[in-house]
Amino acid sequence: MADDKPDRRGFLKLATCAIGGGVGLVVVAPVIRLVLDPAGKTTVTTPTDPIDLGNLEAIPVGADPRKVDIIAPLVKDAWSAARDVVLGAAWVRRTSPDKIEALSAVCPHLGCAIGWDAAAKSFICPCHDSRFSPAGDPLSGPSKRGMDPLPIAVQDGRLRLVWKRFKADIASREEA
Amino acid sequence: MADAEPDSGLLGRARAFILDRTGVGARARVPASIPGGPSFAYVFGWVLVFLLLLEATTGAALAAFYSPSSTDAWASVAYIQDQSALGWLVRGLHHHGGSAMAIVAGLHLLQTGLFGAYKKPREVTWWLGVILMALILAWSVTGYVLRWDQAGYWANRVEVGIAAGTPVIGEQIRAVALGGNDYGNLTLTRFYALHVIVLPALVALLVIAHIALARRHGTTTLPGRAKLPAEPRWPGQSLRNVLAMAATFAALAAYTASQHGADLAAPADPSAAYDARPLWYFRWLFELRVLAGSWEKVAAMAAPAIVGGFLVGLPILDRGPSLAIGTRKPWVGAFVGLLALITALTASSLARDANDPDLAKRLTALEARGDKARALAVANGVPSSGGLDVFATPPMYRARALFAQRCKSCHDADSKDRKGPVIAPGHGNRAWLAGFLAAPSGAPYWGKSKLAATEDAMKAVELPPADQADLVELLYGETGAADTRADARARGKVLFDKACTDCHALEDGVAGVSAPDLAGMGSRDFYTHFIGNPKSPVHMGDGKSQMPRFDKELTIVERDELAGYLVWLRTATPADLAALGPL
Repeated sequence: MADDKPDRRGFLKLATCAIGGGVGLVVVAPVIRLVLDPAGKTTVTTPTDPIDLGNLEAIPVGADPRKVDIIAPLVKDAWSAARDVVLGAAWVRRTSPDKIEALSAVCPHLGCAIGWDAAAKSFICPCHDSRFSPAGDPLSGPSKRGMDPLPIAVQDGRLRLVWKRFKADIASREEA
Repeated sequence: MADAEPDSGLLGRARAFILDRTGVGARARVPASIPGGPSFAYVFGWVLVFLLLLEATTGAALAAFYSPSSTDAWASVAYIQDQSALGWLVRGLHHHGGSAMAIVAGLHLLQTGLFGAYKKPREVTWWLGVILMALILAWSVTGYVLRWDQAGYWANRVEVGIAAGTPVIGEQIRAVALGGNDYGNLTLTRFYALHVIVLPALVALLVIAHIALARRHGTTTLPGRAKLPAEPRWPGQSLRNVLAMAATFAALAAYTASQHGADLAAPADPSAAYDARPLWYFRWLFELRVLAGSWEKVAAMAAPAIVGGFLVGLPILDRGPSLAIGTRKPWVGAFVGLLALITALTASSLARDANDPDLAKRLTALEARGDKARALAVANGVPSSGGLDVFATPPMYRARALFAQRCKSCHDADSKDRKGPVIAPGHGNRAWLAGFLAAPSGAPYWGKSKLAATEDAMKAVELPPADQADLVELLYGETGAADTRADARARGKVLFDKACTDCHALEDGVAGVSAPDLAGMGSRDFYTHFIGNPKSPVHMGDGKSQMPRFDKELTIVERDELAGYLVWLRTATPADLAALGPL
């Protein structure tokens, strides 16, 4: 074999690297495409229409806010379709017989679950001590905004709530 | 290297830094040489290395999607195959790459075996290769079950069944393999652990040792090349290696594309018959079992042991210094004969299946079932209760399935055996009620029943059109429909009390004098009760209805679901029904 000629050897080296690199690329390219695929998709689909929260009469007028679990009838998560999935919770209060309010229990600071301090009559986030009034206005602590209200309505005596998530730790309220 | 570049400039300094700190790049300066020169006969090992890297790369991506649980495994594989970008390609390359590995490993074995590369001092290299071959096959066994479809599930049942036939410790082997007494979550988690952690780690270690030894001893010179001068490995042999890799990949990619990835059957179903077949590289054992008849268990255990024993023993048996094939005839003959036998058995098994028209029919049906499951998974998602439940995801599936099983033959418009009223979209709406009042024994109503036009049958209601409409509105209101007109119902009630109460009642739970209580007729509760006992005095009464009671045959939940379907039909159009899709 005449592999000793410098220009021929150079060409063979170049060809080896080019073919080897090319094969490597065509193997890796679809793999990267596949792995990045979910990043551009809505992989978890929660209902955008109102979710039933139960009977209006379960919320007494003028009482402390009541925590209500938000249970989606159907959640699609990549390949699976699950029924009755808990998405989160809302604090619901009824200030008068026909006025009902719902606040997301997700803290607008960093997303912990907000609790009710019955003694102080205010909301408190257990993670970083953000406090909110019963109406959800910020009182103290690191949260940059008040608790996030969720659209709620009464239909045929049933509470119907639209579940939303908001971006954390910013002063304005933007849907996530 | 003759054309070594000086260590100057940015590239040169970077190269010097890496060489100085890590030693990487040093080997290139001492080119390994090949006695007799480069050859395509030496490429198989490197193609195997390439395929291992391909399996590792595609496997890592698949692992980012796969869920090893009995409820999710099939669904996650179907998601990769049908719903992710290029998932079919990556999965196909991984699946068929395993086949390519078995082929190339076979060729590697053939080449090294033929040329006597197992001889002193390369015995350990050979033995490591034989072990690697076994591990590669084990790799495919552990991988095939992970898809948790009918094919993988049943193939694994047979394989574990064979292992469970091992004398004395068979049952223990089975329990360890399955992770308990039966197939389930623990079966998948442990096969997954074997497939993605244990076997890759073992294979990587052995491959490193195998290559280190191969480098230590160098290539076994090809026959007839002993007198040729040695040549450097780089780039002559390297180019041949990458060309072989490129050719292998091209063939693999073309085959994968032609198959649109790898097959995926319906979800694992322990209750459904399936023509279990092993992966093609175990076909020879499958055929051997068929031929062995009552000795099948012995054949299944003994044959791999004989082949393995022969390969391990070859370096000990064939000890002469000569590499020439002519001087090693018995051993080369036995070696080639064994490989030929395996090939022939494989071909025979494939031919046996290809010539079985009944099998082909069953396979077509099984494939259709798999396609249906996958289409449903794309459309509706897979219930979190498990892959098989995907079949129950079409809207109102259970009610429609029950209807098809229990109601259709007597109530479908197209049924030859129809005995009762047609049940179709619009059943129980205003038009239906008006039609019934006009001709109770008409064809779509009682026309096909024994009751039709008898003394006991209701006579046509003859009223002025406005009154007829009011009566229809009264009955329509009983269905619970939201769009009824209260004034018309009130007028209808007056008419009813005048003209109908000689026979009927319109009060919950009160039997009419000689005809059904019409209270709530067409509502969900009414249907649930009616289906349970049509012969009840509040309904048709004994002797008038041919419809059997279903309160013993169907549970209250099933009757309620059927009732819900009937209520849905009232407002549905034929297009709505068609839009529900097939069952």
